[in-house]
Amino acid sequence: MSNFLQFTVFGIMLGAGFAIAATGLVVTYTTSGVFNFAQGAVGMIAAFCYWELVTAHHMNILLAMVLIVGVGAAIAGALVERVLMRRLHGASAERPVMVTLGLMVILTGAASIIWSPTVQRTVGYMIDGQFQLVGINIQYQYVLIIAVAAAVAVGLRALFRSTRTGYALRAVVDDPELLGMAGVSPNRMGQYGWILGFMMAALSGVLLASTQTTGISIQAMTLLVVSGYAAAIVGRLKNIAVTFAAAIAIGLAENYILNYVGPHLSSSLQADVTAVLPMIFLFIALITLPSVRLRAVGRLSSLRAPRVAGGRESVLVGAGFLVVGVVVALAFGDTAFKGTTVLTLGGIVMCLGIVGLSLVLLTGYSGQVSLCQFSFMGIGAFLMGKVAGGGSVIGLLVAAGVCAAAGAIVALFTYRLSDLYLALATFAVADAVATGFFADSRVFGGGGVIVGRIVLPGLSLGGDKAEFLFVTLCFVLVALLVLAIRRSLFGRRLVAVSDSPAAYATVGLDIGFTKVAVFAISAGLAGLAGALFGTVQQVVGTTDFDIFPGIIFVLFVTIWGIRTVSGAFLAALTYVVLNQLWPSGLGIFAGVGVILIGRAANGLLGVEWLNVRLPWVRSDPDGSLPVSAGTLANASVTGGATSAAS
Amino acid sequence: MPQADATAPSAVSVRDDQTGAVLSVAEVAVRFGGVAALSDATLSVRPGTVTGLIGPNGAGKTTLFNVISGLQAPDRGSVHLFDTDITRMKPHRRARLGLARTFQRLELFGTLSAGENVQVGLESSIKWWQWHHLRRSFPWAKSGVPSAHGLPEGEPTGPGSMPVATADRLLEGVGLGGLAARQASAMPTGLARMVELARALAMAPKLLLLDEPGSGLDDAESDALGELLTTLAAGGMGVLLVEHDMELVMRICDYIYVLDFGVIIASGTPEEIRANPMVQAAYLGTVTDEATTEVPVDSVDGNQDSADAGANASGSGEVSGAGA
Repeated sequence: MSNFLQFTVFGIMLGAGFAIAATGLVVTYTTSGVFNFAQGAVGMIAAFCYWELVTAHHMNILLAMVLIVGVGAAIAGALVERVLMRRLHGASAERPVMVTLGLMVILTGAASIIWSPTVQRTVGYMIDGQFQLVGINIQYQYVLIIAVAAAVAVGLRALFRSTRTGYALRAVVDDPELLGMAGVSPNRMGQYGWILGFMMAALSGVLLASTQTTGISIQAMTLLVVSGYAAAIVGRLKNIAVTFAAAIAIGLAENYILNYVGPHLSSSLQADVTAVLPMIFLFIALITLPSVRLRAVGRLSSLRAPRVAGGRESVLVGAGFLVVGVVVALAFGDTAFKGTTVLTLGGIVMCLGIVGLSLVLLTGYSGQVSLCQFSFMGIGAFLMGKVAGGGSVIGLLVAAGVCAAAGAIVALFTYRLSDLYLALATFAVADAVATGFFADSRVFGGGGVIVGRIVLPGLSLGGDKAEFLFVTLCFVLVALLVLAIRRSLFGRRLVAVSDSPAAYATVGLDIGFTKVAVFAISAGLAGLAGALFGTVQQVVGTTDFDIFPGIIFVLFVTIWGIRTVSGAFLAALTYVVLNQLWPSGLGIFAGVGVILIGRAANGLLGVEWLNVRLPWVRSDPDGSLPVSAGTLANASVTGGATSAAS
Repeated sequence: MPQADATAPSAVSVRDDQTGAVLSVAEVAVRFGGVAALSDATLSVRPGTVTGLIGPNGAGKTTLFNVISGLQAPDRGSVHLFDTDITRMKPHRRARLGLARTFQRLELFGTLSAGENVQVGLESSIKWWQWHHLRRSFPWAKSGVPSAHGLPEGEPTGPGSMPVATADRLLEGVGLGGLAARQASAMPTGLARMVELARALAMAPKLLLLDEPGSGLDDAESDALGELLTTLAAGGMGVLLVEHDMELVMRICDYIYVLDFGVIIASGTPEEIRANPMVQAAYLGTVTDEATTEVPVDSVDGNQDSADAGANASGSGEVSGAGA
């Protein structure tokens, strides 16, 4: 019984920490319509600042809290709203997701530069000591966290229910224009929302840091509030009371499961469960959301779609690409760049290029966001190493097939979700696979899995040149496949389902089937890319397919243009080169890039003045519309229309 | 043009004989929170006729279209397409049974060309994963070589002996010949509505729901639209038309329902509707002495506010148009 009470108190304390972060998310979302993926990263930065000020420089705790939460976080929140978010009004729905993810990888990247991950940092309790109640020991720190969370909840309720600003904050998402007419600036309300959100993120980060008995780490602190994400989803991103209660419930559930189920599991499984549990809660919260009612939104995508290369043109460009590949292979045979041979790096570019192509198909064409392509890639690499002794063509097929099946299963649960929720669900999948599967010592082990080079009948790919040319050929073939899909009737359907789901259904097409199919194909391609990646590196390990590299890569594809094949290739090239030059700066490059690209939906390649027209490319049809008022009047109304109707 | 049922009942009731109807909506009710968007809406559409559905803004016309096409589940009531109960059927299954619609607020595939929009409709019954369809996408496949606007040219779509319809011919049919390559979202509203119409026609529907297809069209285009719709109906299609252009509605509809605050307040031939004092009071903006003296008190009950709102909302210009 006393054990149960002890677990309960700890669970409530943990839940209270989540609740502060989660209600902060809800406040930001209700006032600006943006889900801040960087909420955890803001908390992480606050925790490290707290360690720096209090533990390293012995500053007064209260003063440090005021500086971090009251000054630093508030100013940062105001700046982020003003500089990053306000520009995004009217941008496509996935863009705020990308920008807040960008912010997240900037913060984690900066943190890893400032606070070396090799140093252990422990944040002590703010109030030491404990007291006894009904036979159990309760730390004063726990009471403090619970009290702060309760104060936040009461304060928010008072703000929203009793003040004019509170009413305006609640009204801003419903109808910003109406609010504007009532003399309240919607932008200002959005800014208040971001300030409050950042302050609560910082508060939760500092408070939860003290519960990390083994020390604070950048990744763990950033992902700690994922349970808070789940609570915010349960609260439908608008109900603070429900969010708060859900956070407490999740804190309790996590703690009960770990303490009652955990001891019956093997130690490695116990570690897996610990790591995966928050993501499972998030995933369950998302897929149990009532499906969004299919409705006519009356929104026309005014986006100019990038030109799709014709069949002959794409084959010619692909052949040219291969010739360049041969030249590169001959010219850089043994050259090394920062300790790795150019051909190995080139091979990695091609493999990541295929992952980029899988994103072009999935996100660029069909409009579905995925943050878990690296998970499929990792599974593909793992299978490539394990099937038929490694380095076998069968391994390639199995990797692609298993990943396609896994993708279909993920999509079956998630295809009903809109952009933000799909991003969150795939985020949960990515982290669950990374921490629960790849990090398990039985999967990749300490030294990684040995994959080896592919053996084709009568052909050796043992040498670097042959391997590089083989993966280059694979990239070209997949690029041709993706373009062929876009030109096919399936490709038209992918674009159609993205442009108007309501119209898609009313012309007799099954949204669910189409979305699951494209998710499966895309996951299969990512799996294939992973298998090839394994053959290039020959050994793959835990950190190759982590969640942050996966997100950073998606951002690079977004920067270059997620709707074009060339965008996928350039993203892979940029990623590999920058990673070689300055690995810890990779996230900062990606984050800053995606922020700068802002609302340009076609990325850098779609920016007019950067768009060089190649000589063999036919010009687009004239954009003007020489249509007279009498066009319809002059129509032959008995033409094709009636024949189709009869 | 086929005429309305000779045994059409009195002007303030609905057609209760629904045998042979392509669409039968029975006692459909939808509530949004505390607001009744539709209350016991009952109507039917016969094959080979154009049926009008009129009413002031906010009367529930689009909600009814959403219920019929499956985008909105009704709280009560049923929807039948011929004899098939489609009340709980998914939208795409209804479409496959022969139900097509357009939208009041445009729902085009904006990043596709006009031709591709129609093509998606034409191809909707094709299973893309079948080999002979996949084969066309290969760069070297003869039938799959894309034309200038990315569409395979001359792709036959009509099953069996049906006349071959192509995106180009369908677009020509609605007056957009030569515009197949334009990006749909770059088109002016009136033309974009015609792309939606062509896309709906591409499915060879048995029932066509049109939500204000005439808005954004000038007089000549509106006349052509009317001619097109009567031609389609003559071919056996059932057309349900929501339209604010009263002149067009009165000219081409065989039968008209009047919806006001979610309630069907009248139905009948255009002549009957034009003469109905309650309709004039509720919708056409003319409150006559008869309206206040002849309408039974129980019919007015609960509708008086709506009648006033409707009278204020709708312009009297529409009355003169209707009478012209």
